[in-house]
Amino acid sequence: MTKSWTDTTIKAFYIALKDARVYYFKAPNFTYGILIPVSLYLAFSMAGNISTKLIVAGLTSLVMLFGTTSIEAVAVVLEKQTGTLDRLLAAPISLFTIVLGKALAGFFFGLILAGVVLFPLAAVSGVVILNPLLAVVAIAFTSMAFSALGIVASAYAKWVPEAQMISNFLRFPMVFLSGTFVALETYPFQLQVVARFLPLTYSVEALRSSISSSTVTLTYAVDIGALALFTVILLALSTVILKKRIV
Amino acid sequence: MNAIKVEGLTKYYANILAVDHVNFEVNQGEIFGFLGPNGAGKTTTTKMLTGQTRPTSGTLTIAGKNMVREPIEAKKSVGVVPENSNVYDEMSAWDNLIFAAQLYRVPKVEREKKAKELLELFGLYERRKDRAGVFSKGMKRRLTIAAGLIHKPSLLFLDEPTSGLDVQSSRMIRNLIKDLNRTGVTIFLTTHYIEEADQLCQRIAMINKGIIVALDSPEKLKASVEKHQIIDVSFDQTRNLEQKLSSLKGLEKAVQFGDKFRLHVRSTSEAVPLLGDFARENGLKIVSIHTLNPSLEDVFVGMTGLSPEIMANEKEQGKKVANVD
Repeated sequence: MTKSWTDTTIKAFYIALKDARVYYFKAPNFTYGILIPVSLYLAFSMAGNISTKLIVAGLTSLVMLFGTTSIEAVAVVLEKQTGTLDRLLAAPISLFTIVLGKALAGFFFGLILAGVVLFPLAAVSGVVILNPLLAVVAIAFTSMAFSALGIVASAYAKWVPEAQMISNFLRFPMVFLSGTFVALETYPFQLQVVARFLPLTYSVEALRSSISSSTVTLTYAVDIGALALFTVILLALSTVILKKRIV
Repeated sequence: MNAIKVEGLTKYYANILAVDHVNFEVNQGEIFGFLGPNGAGKTTTTKMLTGQTRPTSGTLTIAGKNMVREPIEAKKSVGVVPENSNVYDEMSAWDNLIFAAQLYRVPKVEREKKAKELLELFGLYERRKDRAGVFSKGMKRRLTIAAGLIHKPSLLFLDEPTSGLDVQSSRMIRNLIKDLNRTGVTIFLTTHYIEEADQLCQRIAMINKGIIVALDSPEKLKASVEKHQIIDVSFDQTRNLEQKLSSLKGLEKAVQFGDKFRLHVRSTSEAVPLLGDFARENGLKIVSIHTLNPSLEDVFVGMTGLSPEIMANEKEQGKKVANVD
């Protein structure tokens, strides 16, 4: 059992390194991951004053959401289109290993994007992150959950535009429903309930907690647990979809 | 133990039956040819054998390992070279091979040694740092084959390995297939070049409409159609001769091609003297006369009703359409 998990992790890591080289670490992906969230922030900020703490947490979460899902949404589809996915399918690796490898690449990409945004933004805006370690943990769990979300779209789609459409369908409503730049408590009750089914809600909340509190609060613990649960469900869902679509 | 054993292998795509209760075995160390027209079920069968798609029913074992129940174990000894080269264009030739080896957990020292050896063998070592995206079709093909061999498989699936390659590259790959087989590697060769299958394969299976219609050694397959012997004959003129020839005793069929006639007869020894009489009676001179043994192509045409040329043309047309798309 342990040997099998070691094998899965090592092979997933090789796939992640390959994906990073082939798809991720290119200038357009970084700019796209940052440009859309900044534009969305500016659109929100037109409505009135937004607290700097909300900006730092919201913008960091959005950068991870758009950065990871944009590229993750096409990573599997491109492999389907070029036939390179067949190479992975013919190798002695499980479908879950392929999905995990793809998610790991997105995870590292999300970490870097968040690092590029969170700490400089906090420094510039004068926001003090009371517990940077909790912020890093929140970023890590967020990045993995969003990455898994991107793969769901990619596993289902046959073509890149289809993957992008599914991805947009999932993430744009989230931006408005998850209290990204507005406190969730100001939402009508029904929308607050809907927000609890969206991973972005927990990401924003966990980052806000790490900025406001130096200790692990119950809210923070629930947020991290929810992000972990989203990751497991979305990775399993991606594996099932991929199996149905191609195997 | 068989390299491949397939029993009742069946695959449905929705309600479409792609492969229908196929049975065959491939012996260790054999070069096994797999032929069939487009849409016959070749690719689906190969994808099931290589674990890329699951059969609807039936069993298949690779080197004694069940591909459905223990796919990871079964795939370890298998190398796959698909019809379309599937290397990563963004990665160098070297990195492509190293990544392929990593998927099989080949140790670092060994994978680097093998990658160097294969790149030298395929004449790509000098270009090892170049992105595969800038390679020619032939170079990509060679790199794809190298990637299929990096983990020293004991069973190699080759799908149309020489398709679209120049004569020199094709010859090099055919020689490589023979060399690999001499070292004990079992080869499962899918090709639409009948002559290639005839030259290389010890046994051949022909599939049509999802069913295996013939399975034997090339010579035995040819012998199976010898009830029709063939004579190619040309006269000093050809006008209206096809109809006149049809009255020849013992003749099954006469087909004109160019300035010659291909006669399918029951017995060449009986037909040749009759052709002399036919020429005299019609004031003709025989320019040339050849008796032919049935070719594997004749077997293929007989079994599938399709000529390999048509099949190859369809394939090329399909590729052009795909490229346009």
